[in-house]
Amino acid sequence: MKRSILWLLLIIVALVVAGCAVSAPAEAPPSEAVEAPAEEAEAPAAEPVTIQVYYPVAVDAPIAEILKGYIDAFQADNPNITVEPVFSGGYGDVKTAIQTAIDGGGDPPALAVMLATDLYDLINADNIVPMDDYIGGMEDGQAYMDDFFPVFLDNSRYDDKLWSLPFQRSAVVMYYNADLFKENGLEPPDSWQALADAGQALTEKEGDTVNRWGIEWPSGWPYWLFQPLAIGAGQNIIGDSDVEVYFDDPKVIEAVQYYIDLSKEYGVMAEGVQAVWGQAPSDLASGQTAMIVHSTGSLTGLLDQADFEVGVMAVPGKEAGSYATVPGGGNLYIFKGAPQEQQDAAWKFVEFLTQPEIAADFSINTGYIASRQSAYDTDAMQEYTAQVPQALATRDALQNAGAEFSVQNLGEVRNIFHDYLQKAYNGEMTPEEAMAAAQEEAEAALADFK
Amino acid sequence: MSAPPQQQRKRRPQLLPYLLILPTGVFVILFTAWPTLLSLYQSLFRQRLNIAKFREPTFIGLDNYTNLFVDPRFWQVMRNTTIYVLVTAPVSIILGLFFALLANRALRGIGFARLAFFHPTILPMVSAATIWMFFFTPDYGLFNTFLVNLGYTGPQNWAGNPHLALPAVMIVAIWKNAGYYMIFYLAGLQNLPVDVYEAAVLDGANWWQMLWRITFPLLRRTTLFISTIAFIGAFQMVDQIFVLTGGGPSRASTVLLFYLWQERFENQNIGKAATLTVILVIFLLIFTVTNFILSERKEDNAYA
Amino acid sequence: MPDAISPRGLWGRLGRWLVLLFTFLLALSWAIPLIWAIIASTRPASEPLGRGDVWFGSYLTLENYIRAWSLAPFDLYYVNTIVIVSMILGVQLITVTLAGFAFAHYRFMGKQLLLFFILLQLMIPTTALLAPNFSTIRVLGLFDTRMAIAIPYFGSAFGTFLMRQAFLGVPRDLVDAGTIDGCKWWQLLWHIYLPPSTPVMIAFGLSSVIWHWNEFLWPLVVTNSDKSRPLTAGLVRFTQLGEIGAQWSLLTAATLIVIAPLFIVFLIFQRRFIQSFLHSGLK
Repeated sequence: MKRSILWLLLIIVALVVAGCAVSAPAEAPPSEAVEAPAEEAEAPAAEPVTIQVYYPVAVDAPIAEILKGYIDAFQADNPNITVEPVFSGGYGDVKTAIQTAIDGGGDPPALAVMLATDLYDLINADNIVPMDDYIGGMEDGQAYMDDFFPVFLDNSRYDDKLWSLPFQRSAVVMYYNADLFKENGLEPPDSWQALADAGQALTEKEGDTVNRWGIEWPSGWPYWLFQPLAIGAGQNIIGDSDVEVYFDDPKVIEAVQYYIDLSKEYGVMAEGVQAVWGQAPSDLASGQTAMIVHSTGSLTGLLDQADFEVGVMAVPGKEAGSYATVPGGGNLYIFKGAPQEQQDAAWKFVEFLTQPEIAADFSINTGYIASRQSAYDTDAMQEYTAQVPQALATRDALQNAGAEFSVQNLGEVRNIFHDYLQKAYNGEMTPEEAMAAAQEEAEAALADFK
Repeated sequence: MSAPPQQQRKRRPQLLPYLLILPTGVFVILFTAWPTLLSLYQSLFRQRLNIAKFREPTFIGLDNYTNLFVDPRFWQVMRNTTIYVLVTAPVSIILGLFFALLANRALRGIGFARLAFFHPTILPMVSAATIWMFFFTPDYGLFNTFLVNLGYTGPQNWAGNPHLALPAVMIVAIWKNAGYYMIFYLAGLQNLPVDVYEAAVLDGANWWQMLWRITFPLLRRTTLFISTIAFIGAFQMVDQIFVLTGGGPSRASTVLLFYLWQERFENQNIGKAATLTVILVIFLLIFTVTNFILSERKEDNAYA
Repeated sequence: MPDAISPRGLWGRLGRWLVLLFTFLLALSWAIPLIWAIIASTRPASEPLGRGDVWFGSYLTLENYIRAWSLAPFDLYYVNTIVIVSMILGVQLITVTLAGFAFAHYRFMGKQLLLFFILLQLMIPTTALLAPNFSTIRVLGLFDTRMAIAIPYFGSAFGTFLMRQAFLGVPRDLVDAGTIDGCKWWQLLWHIYLPPSTPVMIAFGLSSVIWHWNEFLWPLVVTNSDKSRPLTAGLVRFTQLGEIGAQWSLLTAATLIVIAPLFIVFLIFQRRFIQSFLHSGLK
């Protein structure tokens, strides 16, 4: 008995020692990697440099592999640069990770993909560097900039500088069961009224049980999927300023009312807050609903699961023939705390990643919208869109895009907006009351920044 | 025989016991005592790391506290927390006792029942919550199917309905914990003296009377022990909120520790987080000390 | 103790069978979440769940496990979790034994005070103090290491109390006999106090392993990257797949990957598991 305890203790001690040895705090700042100096034909031999790239895993695609593939290709062309990807979770995780890394006394990575809307937080924390100088040093910086979809650059500019570049961008779209529509002689809706009507035609109820909803419109994290309604009504919840919100604009209130009407008046969707972001795509695929509002990022998964023709379009606007959407997704940011050589190396990687061919390849493999317009002219993309025309539809939705919700003190303002929007959806307050309260509190939260 | 050596040792002051306790003491100081004091200190300052002009701490005295006390959101969180703790702990304990009573028989196959009741304890809460996320899905989530089969016609939107979100996270907590307390009660039950029961049977007591008059009182110490861990645990058990509801909708399922985490790590608001920490600590102390005093008093009465 | 719920007579026997049936039904329903998760994880990913169709798919498959495994570095998470849990347990066994021994065996000034001081850790858990503890970790330079996850738990009030309790239960005569024989303190501890207390140590060890294997919030707070993250933090990443929907077959597969080892060990040793809890004399 005693001997076995002795052995147990010995094993545990061994593990503890092993654990201590292995977990000796590794310093976050990447060090200069010493590599066999490569002979560069044109430029003088560059110093070897290692950069870290923080990357969110936000889609169920083998992103890690895809990215590693790009890294390998990049490193082949740039032997003096080593790129270390760090996969830290979702967008929120990456943000927290970097904040706490800096907070915890380490250095930030040279490059990260973060939400386009994180811009102000990052600028306020003095974490990122503007990219204008790099673009100025390019051969044809203007053409480069013009080739990006303009709406994707909306959240990159502040104080006359450019702070980020689009990489994995998406947009809000409406997916619908095209076969069902045809069977019922319906056209894809082009107005709020048409949407409600189509929804009613396609909702199937048996007494109290709903066999099929007309539409599922997730609202657990509501702002993103709500914005197209506001834009479609004529007024986005934000404008050009970083310190103004328009929650209590009558058109925004109309949009809130419409969402509520869809369930209360037209009966085409579930009442209240729909925390169904997770299952909306599979609900569409399995026939529980005829339409959903979701991200372009779900396209690939949907096509896999659905055994009918999947239709894709922008969200109908209020007036007939109008549409609306809003972009989302992540941009590339270069961080200030990293040494200059790393920033420069990071820029090279940014240039690499934003090439049309890479953008096209990325879009095909993940379902994100390619950030550059010319990506859609590449051979690979032409081939792909011939087979999957929906991919073009997701791009075309961008024509009707408004800017994504992004203001100073975004976290707090957004929480306020969510709180009250959900109260309105749940019937706890009327849309007017809710939006008025939201406007008041948001203005208080923004007061310090004006 | 002269005074036992034990007493002789007591007379000599020695360093050894203190040295033996030192390692434990150091860690308790470092990670319990010091942080509490640090929070007290930081709660007197305004500091937000993600807003440039508030990055350095500025002294504001008790303003953090007064600002919180007039904030309806804070009161909503406190209300949620109180409900959460006062429901999950007692219900889990009662269920634990119930399971123990049911499973305390020497039958083949009873091991399956004990296993079934106990297994949620060894699952990580995030895993449990992931599974329950499906169970709470409106329309076809299994929990809703189960309720509907029992004749339930109410709302099914557990994660999105402000009246159901808190109950949902409570249900997951109870499901997870009841089995854990069952084990303690099983141990308690098996250590109960048989003769008392035999005497009661001879006196003609029925099973209900035996339960109330004998079993429950004899389990008092176990219950005290369990209720202490249950209440402390209830304050800490927030993992499922991350997965199921994110604290919503509209903060309907936000409890104190979750709110604290949000303020510290999402809003980078050091001052407010410290204030909330102090409040949490006070709450914890109130609960545990009250629990202790109440039970001690009952103990005394039991033998009066 | 006779079955607490055991009515007598003919009705009694029927009653007993009903109670038994009820017990098993209740137990079964308590286990359904896990049972469903296992079944759903074998469902082909291309068959979404829908009304009336939430159990088996049209065929069984392991593809979800393969995909889940490839989407996150589970092997790294496993290593981290094992290392963290072992570190904690290893150091805890030492500190709680020493402290419990000191409290049980000696009388010294301030004993009650010190006992109460250590009691504080029970009343104010590490997680509640995550904000200031995060600062401490930062000051110690331990951010994003496995040591950071483990270190607050190296001293355990719970363990100290348990060991003290166990040691107090050792018959005085044995201790006195040892003392008379001239044993030093560590010999007393090793030969006399520890042997009868092993059930308690095992029970404590089991609780420690389970608790820290499943811990989520504190590791989330003090780590940033996969090199130090345990399984729980890794799993949460799956539930936050932002842009796409929840794929239940994938999610349940990932969940089971996280649950499996502890659960299988538990199944094998469940009798001993529960026995050690029961006989640890926890009162």
